[in-house]
Amino acid sequence: MTRASLLFGGLLVLAVIPLFVQDSYTRHLFILAFIYAVIASNWDLSLGYAGLFNFGHLVFFATGVYTVAIAAKTLGISPWLAIPMSGVTAAIAGLIVSAPVARLKGIYVVLVTFAFGQLVLQLILSQSHLTGGAEGMVRIPYLQIGDYKFISDFKLGYYYVALGLLIVSTLYLLWVTNSTFGKSLLAVRDNEDYARARGIWITRQRVLVLTLSAIFPGVAGGFFAAYLRVASPEVLSFGTLSLALSMVLIGGAGTIIGPIIAAFLLIFATEAMAGIRGMEDARFLIVAIGMILVLRFAPGGLAQLVRAPRKKP
Amino acid sequence: MAGNILEVRNLTKSFGGLKAVNDLTFDVKEGELLGIAGPNGSGKSTLFNVMTKIPFGPTGGEVVFGNQRIDRMPPHRIAALGLARTFQKDAEFPDLSARETVALAAVYGRKLSRAGAMAATEEQLHAVQFDPARADMPTTELSVFDRKQLMIASALVMQPRVLMLDEPASGLTRPEITALDALLCKIAASGVTIMLIEHVLSLLLSVAQRLIVLNQGSLLAEGDPQTVIKNPAVVEAYLGGRAA
Ligand SMILES: Nc1ncnc2c1ncn2[C@@H]1O[C@H](COP(=O)(O)OP(=O)(O)OP(=O)(O)O)[C@@H](O)[C@H]1O
Ligand SMILES: [Mg+2]
Repeated sequence: MTRASLLFGGLLVLAVIPLFVQDSYTRHLFILAFIYAVIASNWDLSLGYAGLFNFGHLVFFATGVYTVAIAAKTLGISPWLAIPMSGVTAAIAGLIVSAPVARLKGIYVVLVTFAFGQLVLQLILSQSHLTGGAEGMVRIPYLQIGDYKFISDFKLGYYYVALGLLIVSTLYLLWVTNSTFGKSLLAVRDNEDYARARGIWITRQRVLVLTLSAIFPGVAGGFFAAYLRVASPEVLSFGTLSLALSMVLIGGAGTIIGPIIAAFLLIFATEAMAGIRGMEDARFLIVAIGMILVLRFAPGGLAQLVRAPRKKP
Repeated sequence: MAGNILEVRNLTKSFGGLKAVNDLTFDVKEGELLGIAGPNGSGKSTLFNVMTKIPFGPTGGEVVFGNQRIDRMPPHRIAALGLARTFQKDAEFPDLSARETVALAAVYGRKLSRAGAMAATEEQLHAVQFDPARADMPTTELSVFDRKQLMIASALVMQPRVLMLDEPASGLTRPEITALDALLCKIAASGVTIMLIEHVLSLLLSVAQRLIVLNQGSLLAEGDPQTVIKNPAVVEAYLGGRAA
């Protein structure tokens, strides 16, 4: 109950924020936060719920970015069509990475998924005729309806599309995690043997969860490309990865809502720090220290601090 | 007597040089309650492990269930086919409630819809006399007896043909063991074949219709429980095991 009201309260605030926040820079930060919230909360599905450390999670985002870049710019497909397509291509990427990972455990999952991320990065860099290589791609078609450009009115259109994306993604995640499938992920995470003994096919659940956790980061990537109008291998940088990961861990793995809240906190905190002279480079270090402190003193993340015990005795 | 529901043929499990299960051959008859005894480390749990492939299969031999060989099947299929086991060490899903645990088994082990699973769960929790007031608590807060009941309920909700229980009485008080005895009789009366590993001999002898005794992974004795338990080799194995 409290979680639902928190959710709807937050939603209402976010929906009316553009009435009060009119400068495009702050709105840009909100849009970034929406995108990161989608990435982090979907990462939480594989990491927090399934206990699978997919270090290649940002590949799904990158797949979306390049899907829209190539589809919309090179092939001339409308970005409105290309963005949903990026959910499909990202899901395919999820399926591909799940093949080697589904039967692995612990550190091997980390190693293989990390290698997968590097492989995709090399692919992007080497296939420059398609991807623009290290320079990336620019002037990707933007979103518009008729003559209305979504960048106008201080990014108003982009703000609401990104917010809508976050809402749909969050409803999807709540649906998945509350389903029997979601419960089975927790069961597999916590006791593989018992789960097997009750008829759960663990390999299949892992393939599913990696695929399901790829869709919305892919769509977010596609949106990102149409918003910033660039596609760059930067999306697979270690900085992006560690920022998204700290959102999951600081917010609280296995909570969905935690990483979303942490995305807002960290986007605004890092931006605020960027404005302070001398802090530009130190801010990611500070985020890392924050993450360590949270893990030390509240291993369940911030969500654990505000959440009441799960069920009444 | 009805036919065999399970045939175990030359089943072997080696851990390096140790043969935890050593060339074991026996049958389980349809509808019987087969007791399995043996000193600590005699391979009882390993037998359940390799039969269910959880967490590992045998290194040799065959298991025939009904009329299919199951020793090459993946564990989730064996479970869904109707071989449901419990674990000696309490197994639980700490983030799930009793209701969620049983419903999960109903969905994955018996392929019920969510609605069907809910109904089957209520029925099953009631059948094992699980306290309904505790059905929504996290399983970590349950008592030892609650957990045993829950582990049995989550197995039974799959409507298995064979229920394999690994020391269900360990850690229970006398009155709880009496309740367990009654529950086992009720399950057996419903037609489910039961394989029961048990150290609490009074319980084992009270419910088992037939008994096999393992020692160092091999079959030491087999037959009528009261006779088998007085077999000199069995007495020796138990005393020897205790002295060691
Ligand atoms: N995973 C394993 N790796 C190595 N050795 C094992 C493993 N599992 C069991 N063993 C060994 O196999 C033998 C049989 O163990 P098992 O647990 O099957 O005995 P048990 O009859 O169930 O004993 P208990 O009555 O104590 O439960 C023991 O010597 C044990 O140490
Ligand atoms: Mg044992």
